[in-house]
Amino acid sequence: MIRYALAILLVAGPAQVLAQDSTPGLELWGKIHEVFSHPRCANCHVGTDRVPMWSGPEYGAAPRPHGMNISGKGADDGANYLVCTTCHSKQNSATPHGPPGATSKGVAEWKLAPVEMQWFGKSSAEICKQFKAKESNGNREIAALAHHVTTEPLVLWAWTVESERKPPYSAKELGKIVEDWGMAGAPCPTK
Amino acid sequence: MSRAGTITRRLALLGAAGVAGGLVFGFYYTEPFRVNRRLGSGLQKGQHMLTPYVRIDRDGVTIITPRADLGQGAYSIQAALVAEELDIAWNDIKVDPGAPSSVYYNARVIREGLPVAATNGRLDSIAEIISDGVGRFLGLQLTGGSSTVADSCNKLRLAGAAAREVLLRAAETQTGIARDKLVTRDGAVIVPGGRALSYASLAEIAATIAVPTDVKLRDERDWRYLGKPMQRIDMVAKCTGTATFGIDIRLPGMVYATVCANPNLGGALRSYDDSLAAKARGVLKIVPVKGGVGVIADNTWRAFQAAKLIKFEWGKAPYPASSAAMFRKVKASFVPKRRDSRCKNEGDVDAALAGAKVIKAEYRVPYLAHAPLEPMNAVVQLKDGRLDIWTGTQIPAFLVKTAREMTGLAADDVHVHAQLCGGSFGRRLEDDYVRQGIELAMAYQGHPIKMTWTREEDMTHDFPRPLAVARMRGAAKDRQVDAYDLAIASPSVVASQFGRLSLSIPGPDMAIVAGAWDQPFRIPHYRVTGYRVPELVPVSSWRSVGASGNAFMHECFLDELIHAAGADPLQERRRLCSHGPSSEVLKAIGEMSDWGRDLGPNRGRGLAFTLSFGVPVAEVVEVTATPDGERRIITIDRVCVAAEVGKVLDPDNLKNQVEGAVIWALGHAMNAELTFADGKAVQTNYHQYEGMRLHQAPRIEVKALETTGLAHIRGIGEPAVPPAAPALANAIFAATGIRARRLPLISHDKIRFV
Amino acid sequence: MRVIWVDGEPHKVDVEGDMPLLWVLRDEVGATGPKYGCGIAMCGACTVYVDDRPVRSCSLRIGDVAEGAKVTTIRGLGTPQALHAVQAAWIEHQVAQCGYCQPGQIMAAAALLHDKVAGKPPLSDADLDDHINHAMSANLCRCGTYMRIRAAIKSAAAKLQGQRP
Repeated sequence: MIRYALAILLVAGPAQVLAQDSTPGLELWGKIHEVFSHPRCANCHVGTDRVPMWSGPEYGAAPRPHGMNISGKGADDGANYLVCTTCHSKQNSATPHGPPGATSKGVAEWKLAPVEMQWFGKSSAEICKQFKAKESNGNREIAALAHHVTTEPLVLWAWTVESERKPPYSAKELGKIVEDWGMAGAPCPTK
Repeated sequence: MSRAGTITRRLALLGAAGVAGGLVFGFYYTEPFRVNRRLGSGLQKGQHMLTPYVRIDRDGVTIITPRADLGQGAYSIQAALVAEELDIAWNDIKVDPGAPSSVYYNARVIREGLPVAATNGRLDSIAEIISDGVGRFLGLQLTGGSSTVADSCNKLRLAGAAAREVLLRAAETQTGIARDKLVTRDGAVIVPGGRALSYASLAEIAATIAVPTDVKLRDERDWRYLGKPMQRIDMVAKCTGTATFGIDIRLPGMVYATVCANPNLGGALRSYDDSLAAKARGVLKIVPVKGGVGVIADNTWRAFQAAKLIKFEWGKAPYPASSAAMFRKVKASFVPKRRDSRCKNEGDVDAALAGAKVIKAEYRVPYLAHAPLEPMNAVVQLKDGRLDIWTGTQIPAFLVKTAREMTGLAADDVHVHAQLCGGSFGRRLEDDYVRQGIELAMAYQGHPIKMTWTREEDMTHDFPRPLAVARMRGAAKDRQVDAYDLAIASPSVVASQFGRLSLSIPGPDMAIVAGAWDQPFRIPHYRVTGYRVPELVPVSSWRSVGASGNAFMHECFLDELIHAAGADPLQERRRLCSHGPSSEVLKAIGEMSDWGRDLGPNRGRGLAFTLSFGVPVAEVVEVTATPDGERRIITIDRVCVAAEVGKVLDPDNLKNQVEGAVIWALGHAMNAELTFADGKAVQTNYHQYEGMRLHQAPRIEVKALETTGLAHIRGIGEPAVPPAAPALANAIFAATGIRARRLPLISHDKIRFV
Repeated sequence: MRVIWVDGEPHKVDVEGDMPLLWVLRDEVGATGPKYGCGIAMCGACTVYVDDRPVRSCSLRIGDVAEGAKVTTIRGLGTPQALHAVQAAWIEHQVAQCGYCQPGQIMAAAALLHDKVAGKPPLSDADLDDHINHAMSANLCRCGTYMRIRAAIKSAAAKLQGQRP
């Protein structure tokens, strides 16, 4: 990973990394935020209450907590109460408003992101800051983050739906955007 | 008046009203066999009908339970009424809903629609006679209006008693031992010395014996089953997955189907392209039906999938396209030419309000879907000139009529097999889904076709509870409620339902003001006016019908007036109450809810009272309102219910019905509404129409009063629904000071539920 | 053709992989205990076990059920002659009204008790309530039998407490 990051540094050159003008970088961050704040991604990146959200076109204007008193307290995959895979199977439901599913390494996998990766309810600046910080991003350099979003099965799964549920760009494009953002100095908005 | 005297009087009055058959009890048992050949013709070899409710063969007795079991326990209670008199062991009871017949007309269901308050003692009896006459004239075999117990209580006990008497006389004939030396026990006649002759063994002789006309009913003090908790006869099957609902029917050669009809309700099907669907796996035939298309396939899911591939061009609905536009129509109906009723008009409201400090408000309630968990379905087969229909229905005899009209078949060739219903709440008073099933059967003959709607089809093709708007004015004087002027505008459920039968209703539709116009309060100046909104979306009966929304409007504004007067909601209602049994109910609710005890911070208690279907019900809801910024997160902690039903036949089932009614009412009041956009229902599944979930359910305590006695027995399926929503809204006001005047309550931006 | 084991019996079915398990059970196998209510895992009436784990059969494609997997429906849980403890408690508390959701409720409750009660250290009443509130709120009952569902689960839990799963 580190070697990969160094390679980027070498290719991109220090001038760009140290660029004072953060406007192009902020634009790139804006695109990343578009993905992270998309309901398909953000609904399960929730905070300490461990309650996934229902938001998105099928739920009207106001986001709300996942119905049915679902809670990831005690276990991110719901196992303490009702395991997510009771309803979220390997596939995305083809029925409107049906439960999205997920497959990772051949088995159904659906779980909340860790608390330190909370996106839902946070500002773009906060998400950016924690995305960059190793203590809240799984100890990853920028390059590793780019790698993560293009290879992690659960992330890739986000784009496996058609229709209005699909997040913008593609995993590959997002990876490139993250790389470019890193090369642009990985700036974060101030609010 | 003694109980026996009451029965005799009522039946004698029936005679006076022109009932054929001169003998008091003869009507029930002899006339049916004269007028209704079909009951007899449907019997298998060796089966005999002792009365329309008791069938016997060599295997024993089967009790006919013609009222549909929608979950309310109707089969059990009908069986218990017969079994109590017939004397059979509980575990030996077998039931069969029987063939549809006008014999099984409902004498009580019209009662609620008559403009006579249940509190009006003398006129109430006459209203019951009219109800009986209309029911009989129309051959109204119908389950609804909380009428099953009131209608069946005497009829079925008499049916059981008469059948028992026949069996005793059969035993007399067989043994030569005099009738008065014989007794019965658990499905057998016992001869002196203790030998038991099973009813089954007496079947053939019993069939030859005329039904007696002079049977005596057991004194209620001697009841063995009634009045005590009974194990529901469907319980084991329902808990082991062995109960068969309409949707579970499986028959040899059966095929599967679904229907997509125009979601712009009443709009035409302009055109459709089924070229992709026709090629889909398993599709057998695609059939146009009224306003839509049916797909017949070899599996329900394949039919669903193929139906999604059809491209439709739908015609527009005849009503305004959006809920907002519909509410505008409702609000525009508070005009003289739309006035439908003013059956309550006491004192001089206008004079009392002139010069008083007038409180004004506008309330509204939304359309509500029935959304029973079992989607509409029917299995229909047309084969060799015989039509069979297996379906859950509240109107089996109407289905025979519908089927005859559609197919041209004779009554003897149409067979309706009523099935257990996975909920209904009034939905199965309509025949639309069965009509579709018949259309499919006519187009694809020779096979039973199981037609099942998707949940999405079910939600978007309901006949909902109508929306309504109320405008009220009122005033307090000397710390008392002095004037209450209530005007309600709503489309007419009865006109909509009758319209589908090409009938019009004479006089006002009391459903528009039900649960409001007939409340037993002696407010000095008190007026209730109903305005009939021209038909918008076709509407129908929804558990507790008009009272379901009107109680919210009537009782919340009464709460506002009581607060304006500076009075206590319970004490003021008790002071105003003009009806003995209702006063008892209010007294009881005060005691059981610890009314007046301090609940602590952020908590509140709300009271509402509604008399509907002849049953006075008071409910107290306790809530906790947890602050969350500007919002309050409401937890419903506890609900107390007191109701006067005359006589409780099964205390545990009554409690279950009341608990269910409260949860039904509170769930919808919290978060449910059916809205329209582009002419179509917006809510397509339970994620947008949630109701209550288990973690939100309160503790519910129930007290049933029996002060009026068996002669005034009433059903409890619906009457506990109306007061729940206003009691909740009044509790939220008590806890937070927020006065929510619209349902669902979450439409208020400061109210959310846990 | 694939073989599906339902309540201990093998069934040969010829279905496409994306048919939900529910419709394989109901229309192909003839196991009508699990019900169709919503089709989108919103009501729980279709709940069955696949290899002893509760799933919403309306939202699980048959193609995602492993060959040879064991499917258990309400009829495999217990029978009128040999009731499961949860079914017995349901009858004791006269839970059902229309009964359409109850196969799913009972399957969910039996799974909850299996996971949290049988053979486990006793739960306090509050903890059991907490588990009931979270594990049972995904099963919708339109008749409103929730109070009785809670009571029946507690009654079954009292009997199962300390027993081996």
